[in-house]
Amino acid sequence: MSDKKYWKGIEELHNDAEFVRLKNNEFFEHLPVSEQLEKKAQANDVTPRRDFLKFMGFSVAAATLAACEAPVVKSIPYVVKPEEIYPGIANYYASTFWDGYDYCPVVVKTREGRPIKIEGNELSAITRGGTNARTQASVLSLYDSARLKSPMVNGAPSSWGTIDSTVTAKLSEIAGKNGNIRILSSTIISPTTKKIIEEFSKKYPGTKHVTYDSISYSGMIKANSESFGIAALPSYRFDNAEVIVSFGADFLTNWISPIEFARQYGEGRKLNDGKKKMSKHIQFEPTLSVTGSNADKRIPVKPTQQPVAIANLYNEVARQTGGMAIAAPDAGELKNEIMEAARHLVAAKGKALVVARSNSSAVQNLVNGINVLLESYGNTINLNEANLTKQGDDAGLKNLLAELKEGKVSALFIYGCNPSYTLPNAEEFNTALKRVELTVSFSDRNDETASNCKFICSDHHYLESWGDAEARSGHISFMQPTIAPLFGTRQFQESMMTWAGIGNNYHEYLQQNYADGWQAKLKDGVYQKQADGASSSIKFSSGVLTAAATGISSMQPVGGMELVLYEKTGLGNGNQANNPWLQELPDPISRVTWDNYLCVSPKDAREKGWNNNNVVTLKANGVSKDVPVYIQPGQTPGVVALAFGYGRTNCGKVADNVGVNAFAFARLTDNGMTYWSPCEIQKSTKDDYMLAATQMHHTMMGRAIVKETTLEEYIRKPNAGNPPVVIPVHKGHEEEILPPNKVNLWDSFETPNHHWGMSIDLNSCIGCGACVVACTAENNVHTVGKAEIGRSREMHWIRIDRYYSSDADPKEGVKPDTGQLKKMEEPSDNPKVVFQPVMCQHCNHAPCETVCPVVATNHSSEGLNQMAYNRCIGTRYCANNCPYKVRRFNWFQYDGNEKFANVNPAFHTNELSRMVLNPDVVVRARGVMEKCSLCVQRIQEGKLTAKKESRKLKDGEIKTACMQACPTHAIVFGDYNNTESELNKMWKPEERSYHLLEELDVQPNVFYQTKVRNVEPKES
Amino acid sequence: MKTFSLPIFSLRFFVATLFCFLSINNGFAQPDGEALFKTNCTQCHSVGKGVVIGPDLKDVHKRRPQDWIIKWVHNSQTVVKSGDKYAVDLFNKFNKTVMTPFNLKDEEIKSIVAYIKTESEKAPVAAKGPAAGAEEKKGGNTFLYLLIAAVVLYVVIRMVSRVQRAMEKVLRHRHGLPEPVPVKATKRFVTWARNNKKLVAVILIVLFVLGNVKGWYLLAGIGISQGYQPDQPIAFSHKIHAGDNGINCKYCHFGAEKGKTAGVPPANVCMNCHKFIKEGSITGKEEIAKIYKALDYNPETQTYGPNKKPIQWVRVHNLPDLSYFNHSQHVKVAGVECETCHGNMAEEGVANQYAPLTMGWCIDCHRRTPVKMEGNHYYDEYHKKLLAKFGSDSLITVERIGGTECARCHY
Repeated sequence: MSDKKYWKGIEELHNDAEFVRLKNNEFFEHLPVSEQLEKKAQANDVTPRRDFLKFMGFSVAAATLAACEAPVVKSIPYVVKPEEIYPGIANYYASTFWDGYDYCPVVVKTREGRPIKIEGNELSAITRGGTNARTQASVLSLYDSARLKSPMVNGAPSSWGTIDSTVTAKLSEIAGKNGNIRILSSTIISPTTKKIIEEFSKKYPGTKHVTYDSISYSGMIKANSESFGIAALPSYRFDNAEVIVSFGADFLTNWISPIEFARQYGEGRKLNDGKKKMSKHIQFEPTLSVTGSNADKRIPVKPTQQPVAIANLYNEVARQTGGMAIAAPDAGELKNEIMEAARHLVAAKGKALVVARSNSSAVQNLVNGINVLLESYGNTINLNEANLTKQGDDAGLKNLLAELKEGKVSALFIYGCNPSYTLPNAEEFNTALKRVELTVSFSDRNDETASNCKFICSDHHYLESWGDAEARSGHISFMQPTIAPLFGTRQFQESMMTWAGIGNNYHEYLQQNYADGWQAKLKDGVYQKQADGASSSIKFSSGVLTAAATGISSMQPVGGMELVLYEKTGLGNGNQANNPWLQELPDPISRVTWDNYLCVSPKDAREKGWNNNNVVTLKANGVSKDVPVYIQPGQTPGVVALAFGYGRTNCGKVADNVGVNAFAFARLTDNGMTYWSPCEIQKSTKDDYMLAATQMHHTMMGRAIVKETTLEEYIRKPNAGNPPVVIPVHKGHEEEILPPNKVNLWDSFETPNHHWGMSIDLNSCIGCGACVVACTAENNVHTVGKAEIGRSREMHWIRIDRYYSSDADPKEGVKPDTGQLKKMEEPSDNPKVVFQPVMCQHCNHAPCETVCPVVATNHSSEGLNQMAYNRCIGTRYCANNCPYKVRRFNWFQYDGNEKFANVNPAFHTNELSRMVLNPDVVVRARGVMEKCSLCVQRIQEGKLTAKKESRKLKDGEIKTACMQACPTHAIVFGDYNNTESELNKMWKPEERSYHLLEELDVQPNVFYQTKVRNVEPKES
Repeated sequence: MKTFSLPIFSLRFFVATLFCFLSINNGFAQPDGEALFKTNCTQCHSVGKGVVIGPDLKDVHKRRPQDWIIKWVHNSQTVVKSGDKYAVDLFNKFNKTVMTPFNLKDEEIKSIVAYIKTESEKAPVAAKGPAAGAEEKKGGNTFLYLLIAAVVLYVVIRMVSRVQRAMEKVLRHRHGLPEPVPVKATKRFVTWARNNKKLVAVILIVLFVLGNVKGWYLLAGIGISQGYQPDQPIAFSHKIHAGDNGINCKYCHFGAEKGKTAGVPPANVCMNCHKFIKEGSITGKEEIAKIYKALDYNPETQTYGPNKKPIQWVRVHNLPDLSYFNHSQHVKVAGVECETCHGNMAEEGVANQYAPLTMGWCIDCHRRTPVKMEGNHYYDEYHKKLLAKFGSDSLITVERIGGTECARCHY
């Protein structure tokens, strides 16, 4: 526990009398400026020119003089230096990111004792070093100024001593009269924490622990219990699956364990090293998700159609494999798609996988039935190794809410969840909460729930905590503090231990559970328990199917519009809503930042006359809210979608009042949480609401920016979709066809030592945005806020372009004079989607270099297009001349600017929070251009390490931030001059490798690999 | 009537321009032998103070011809290999220690030799006693002479003009002419200026050029704090520690070989010695007690207390944030001696900024200094490539491996 305060100087620390006197007095001596001005003003209404000149002259002189004198800088060494810390050298510690929602074993980079960057832990069997955007951004949440600095009692700061005595006394009193004590928490995956809760329950026998996940998987757990007698989520092997059919499950960025699944999926989709096989992915979904946009075939369905489709798929698979048929409503228009999906699935029996996002146990039982028929269990699904990250119990929650309403609960402890925000009936909950004698929240901030509680025992950030996590049975990972607690917070476990009377040292308590080889385990961050024995065989009780069929037939389609609620890649359930990096991360699909919105299909928009940014009133479940409209290609007609995570009211400067709260539209039915409902929409009379998107153009306008082909064609011809680019030139009076590099005017650069480059595999890039946030963290990229993004002034060094296919004939696009170009801009109603990460391409013949009047951007002998910020004078010629539009201009002094205090308190105003900055990268000032440097600081560090150790630089030793963050290893950085490098092996222009806008022959050092879709030739 | 005489004014003007040109000449000085010597040679050579690593360079200009010296400095091994007897003997005499080759220009070496020459002539005087102390600065004397000359000239001019005025008066008196109405000095000046427009123009142009040149150098010096030697919270003397007691720099500044910063040593490093050395030779117990206070250490009971307070040293070398500098790259990989950038701290006492730390200073060194490639396996292949490109006996300077590219230091 820490009571740290930060002083501006030694005088403030001592609180000298003189300091106190001067503190409130900005100017030490009396300045007669105002009197002077006043006197003159009385005499003459206008400010006299002479006075103006006098003051101006004085200011200029003063400013000049002040600038001449160098300030005195202190250099304060450690008094006693910790052995492992060397100033200027980074230390890495293994830990685990778990916030009740996302799980990721991580390695934390610290500098001088402050965490500055999160990397994935490659030793983890689950994620294998992958991360996602939320994990990458979690380091900034540590320095969130909205975190509580001390515990609170009834809204006033208090001390731990007071709280402990009050809470313990109250607990004994409640226990004395056999009162009910309830602990409401998000999923707890820490075995040791569970043990502490048990100890607590022993001490206070009226205690019951209720697990509540904001996004519930309760129906799925229930289904597994009914189908197999195992009440848990299984672990999946998407890499083993040759055919994947998903019903609305966004398993690449949100569903259950997205980092793990993204990695597996990426493996199944890669075509490296001459591999000619890839998985086939069919997605049925209501709104376009990241997963759906990666699918080979995507079928828009309504939420009410989904159970019907699953029942029909079951019947079709059963018919082909000889299973038992069930009663199912007619699939209608989806019949052909279902037949086809079934055909593919059955053909890949034993290597197929069907998943669905549905919290209905009936639907999940059917999915289980399909997977049993396809022999997925033991191959692509493992029920013996349970995924423990989602244990929420909707029935338990419903009980608790009823108990609260009846006033039966005497004490409520709320940990890791925020029911006042995430419950559909939050008002009811808040009212009931007031009647509870003892309410304790462990929130790190005074959030929606905590502000309704009597005690807030603010918890540590995970980077300040000890802990263990069992995300998959048998796979343990550890959490260790990487910084001393910044504020007067205390870990949840220590609070509970204190009240349970079992000491107050969680670190020791934890260590006792892992006595053998604790240090080694902690160092690796992960370890695998010995398996308990042979895995038990799975027995499916087919009786559940008939019940499920009855359940499904009772789900009547509704006539009107349907609302579906979904999670965004950036904010997810809104745990980290106050994190500006996540708010500014463009949604991979809509490319909109800083807002949620109502996704509407183009067809509905046309019919109803809605446009982007129109405000509509959305009514569902008796809740009504005004929401801006966003026309989303791929959206099922008749379905609108709204994202969770926004509309926070008590989260902090960044998150508050951004977007609307979608949890209000969820329903807690007898079958558990339901994330869709019938709705009504009316156009509001309100003015348009501007959404800030980073991409205005949605199609490639007939150009081969992202090259793509089909698997069949690729097998037939490896350079399918990637024909050599040629330029017709004159040779005498003849026309000659030459490759672009033959008609180039420029001399080539020499790269005698290293020649850095990058390969981006468009086949395995899923567009998740982990790289964007990783780059932001590594390179101190500024967050600029919604208003600036609205002016297209975002600063991200790497962007992920998303293009939709268009139904228009590409040939129409090439004749601008006919006015037919416009047609190309219209995406199809259900488009094919491609993602393309674009950063500085580090051209060898860079157009930016030739136009810089001060040579601030130039070429290095290692192939880098280097940018000297302190030389740049801000003409922006380079940005204008860049064909890839990757250069970013600092329109403001973002650093320390009060104007941006609400956008990014961490960077802009708060000294404490500037601790997240990477000290090896300069923070750019106003008026200079910046762009991707290929993480030159990492290159330099890697080379230096090799030199110091007197050895050759190894391939893969230097990783750029984007490469390291990528869960699918779609980005490969390396040295062209190293013949053994992975990069060199990737460079196959005769197959899939190509340069972006090759016809310009700017000879980029970054290249892409053609996207291959596993589709039937007729579908392409 | 004109009361101004052209000859006298011309004299004044002459003196003024003389000053101008002298100043300008100072501005465009030749390569500074002294600075070059101190940056490049002092690690191994002295003038008149005996052998350091290499020979004492006193009177080297008498011993060897200048051409030979230039060749030797560029690459001593070429001279040795050519069979030059003197060179071979010298090489053997110093246990075959190879002198680092320097990629200096011929004029630069000549200026170093010139500096050694003046130092050699001074050296015996310096040994005689403190009387030579007055002649410390080269430029000081010239200025003094000029000042004296200016004063003398001014006095002469005043006298001549008085004599002239007296004679005019006498003449007027003799011819019975009336005394002229006294004219104000300013009005006189304006009248004169009107009548001598060309001259005024020339003066103004000269002043303008002079002002610009002076201003340019003044502005170029802003932000350069060479010689900065702030007061420190503890009167720590490098002379006592590194000089008298011969403690290796890297014992305290242990970060120099490991990472970016050499680092100010933490107080617990001081305690390795000062646990036992409780009293200093100059300041007694006073300064050492400050370390104890920082650590909350009681020397009587030899126990540490809980109230530790860091020592707030004043940072001497303030490299701007926009440039990245890594000590280990220079100290560990390149084998640069601490003295090259920090001067001879063993004699300096209180820490000060020896080098200007300007980009020009960095780049000069990168252009000149050969890279220590042999023996470092990182460079194996690269070295071969470079030798093939530049010739087998050429110097591979830092510049030639891209050491002057922007993104080596700016990112």
